[in-house]
Amino acid sequence: MSIQDILLQQLANGLILGSFYALVALGYTMVYGIIKLLNFAHGDLYMLGAFVGFIALSFLSDYIGDGWAGIVCSMVLSMIAVGLLGVLIQRIAYVPMLSAPRLSILITALAVSMVLYNGVMAFTDGQYLAFTTDLNYEGVQLGNVFVTNTQMVLVGSSLLLMIVLYLFVHKTLYGKAMRAIAIDQDACRLMGINVNKIIALTFFIGSSLAAAAGVMAGTYYGSIHFFMGFIIGLKAFTAAVIGGIGSIPGAMLGGLLLGLLEAFGTQIPFIGTEWKDVFSFGILILLLVFKPTGILGKTEIERM
Amino acid sequence: MKKTLILSSLGALAGLLMLGNVASSADLKIGIMVPTTGSEATYGKDMENAINLAAGEINKAGGVLGMKIVTMTGDAACDPQQATAAASKLVSANVNGVVGGYCSGATLPTMKIYGDANIPLVIPAANSTKLIGINPGNAFQINSTGFDQVKTAVSLFKAKGINKLAIVHQGDGYSEDLAKLTREKWTAMGKEVVAYEVVNKGEQDQSALVTRIKSKAPDAVFWTAYYADGAMVIKQLRQAGYRNLIAVGDGSNSPKLLKIAGKAAEGVYCFSNPTVEYLPAAKAFHANYKAAYKQDPDAYAALSYDGMKLLADAITRAGSTDKAAIIKALAATKDFTGIAGPISFTDKNTLARSNFVILVAKDGKWILNK
Repeated sequence: MSIQDILLQQLANGLILGSFYALVALGYTMVYGIIKLLNFAHGDLYMLGAFVGFIALSFLSDYIGDGWAGIVCSMVLSMIAVGLLGVLIQRIAYVPMLSAPRLSILITALAVSMVLYNGVMAFTDGQYLAFTTDLNYEGVQLGNVFVTNTQMVLVGSSLLLMIVLYLFVHKTLYGKAMRAIAIDQDACRLMGINVNKIIALTFFIGSSLAAAAGVMAGTYYGSIHFFMGFIIGLKAFTAAVIGGIGSIPGAMLGGLLLGLLEAFGTQIPFIGTEWKDVFSFGILILLLVFKPTGILGKTEIERM
Repeated sequence: MKKTLILSSLGALAGLLMLGNVASSADLKIGIMVPTTGSEATYGKDMENAINLAAGEINKAGGVLGMKIVTMTGDAACDPQQATAAASKLVSANVNGVVGGYCSGATLPTMKIYGDANIPLVIPAANSTKLIGINPGNAFQINSTGFDQVKTAVSLFKAKGINKLAIVHQGDGYSEDLAKLTREKWTAMGKEVVAYEVVNKGEQDQSALVTRIKSKAPDAVFWTAYYADGAMVIKQLRQAGYRNLIAVGDGSNSPKLLKIAGKAAEGVYCFSNPTVEYLPAAKAFHANYKAAYKQDPDAYAALSYDGMKLLADAITRAGSTDKAAIIKALAATKDFTGIAGPISFTDKNTLARSNFVILVAKDGKWILNK
């Protein structure tokens, strides 16, 4: 492989990884945008999404197989279930805390995260479950770069979800309400907008995007376990901050950028793969020093 | 009055119980030191079962030097403090020898206790290379150590005509040790290690690593860490079109690896301790064990069984129960036929010949590589 081929292959790797980050980062950024909460349980919703998808697929595979049809159906089921769970969590854990100091609700989010992953750990005995599907390794050879069909479908569907989300937020009345609440909740109430309903909707959408990413990761990587949401939660949070937390296009951009940074970070001469996180989080620190609002963030950001 | 009666009858009962336990002077007392409680209790119980099975067989065949073997178990609990207490208990019971040692960390502090009492100790499972350095001379390791796995790995790579090797570990003590020793041995042979990589635990996406490895075009990739992340690396290597040899260390010796990696794992090599299912010589042992305990023998049953048989053999060769003589006889062991393979010792009391076996994944199962 020549150096161009390697870089091109890493570009493909980075885009695939980045689209996962972007999907999860969207949930972070939407929730932050609307109620200024860093929802640390978000990575665990991604994990739950994978588990719900796993359960759904093991039921569905008897009827429609575990090929694409089965995967898409279980993904939709998982998105609905986890979306509703997100709303439930918001009702039980976050709504009573909305008027409390910002730090209290942040700690509540951490607690929710622990409840979720410890619960799954207890149920699964901490075991790795094999997410078996019917997908094969066929793909396209572009020069020396190899991309499987599965990878293309994954990137394609996450891009599709992002476009749908963008249109929803910018072209519908609900989307308009969301953007309005992000600016001024009290004014929205005065205008007759049902603020609680819109916030619940935001949680639903954010959680179901995380679930979609979870099911995709489960089918793509082939194994799921209770702790799988931790690292990706951290990375997606980083991606949201890079893009400018609160900004939806920012989360997409940040996710893709972080994926690319990690992929190329391994390719720097003389240092090994163990440095890739140092590299990407180093960039995060530099960005926070020189442009604390992120790439697409607004200037007036509230610090926690 | 009533109280004294109860107390005295309790005392009498205790005395009776103790009598039941105390071996007569014509018996051969063998201590078993394994974890029978705690997280490792399943393995410990399994070892205890295998040792008792061996002792029973020996007794049925007439015992050792005309004496019956009586075993007593000390619970090491995989904990250094508990293990020390268990060892002291066995020493004060004046055992003629001990078979045991599962967790290396718990076995380590007991070696001095047995050493001071000059009691012969046969260690069937614990295999940290740290045990070698502090051995006072009375302990014998019949499980292969990390060094031996490296020997087995290198011999496989050599037999497969490998030149350029890529090694991946996870930065923890176990997998880094194995990676480092393999690299040293491989480069000492004048061969090339083209990639030496570390990956984070629990990371699912290994595409960047895979691309990096592929760009170095190695003839073989050696994964030295555990199965869950190993399955991920194997799957993504194959997905990216890497077609050469892949081998994994004994930490990845799990059916789970094959389940997670699916078809990608076909043809992957794995180095393993000699477990019963892969040992042709252990067929009878397997059947007897199952008949006696209504379950299949686990990972260290075969070695524990061999340990008991070896100790009995050494006592027979020594011709007496004199501890120094037994230790001398153990050290002089030459090609003792165990079910897990022949046993001879180096001058450091470790196994002269590695007993690691090479497995290969075929149709979703690990089978012995021919």
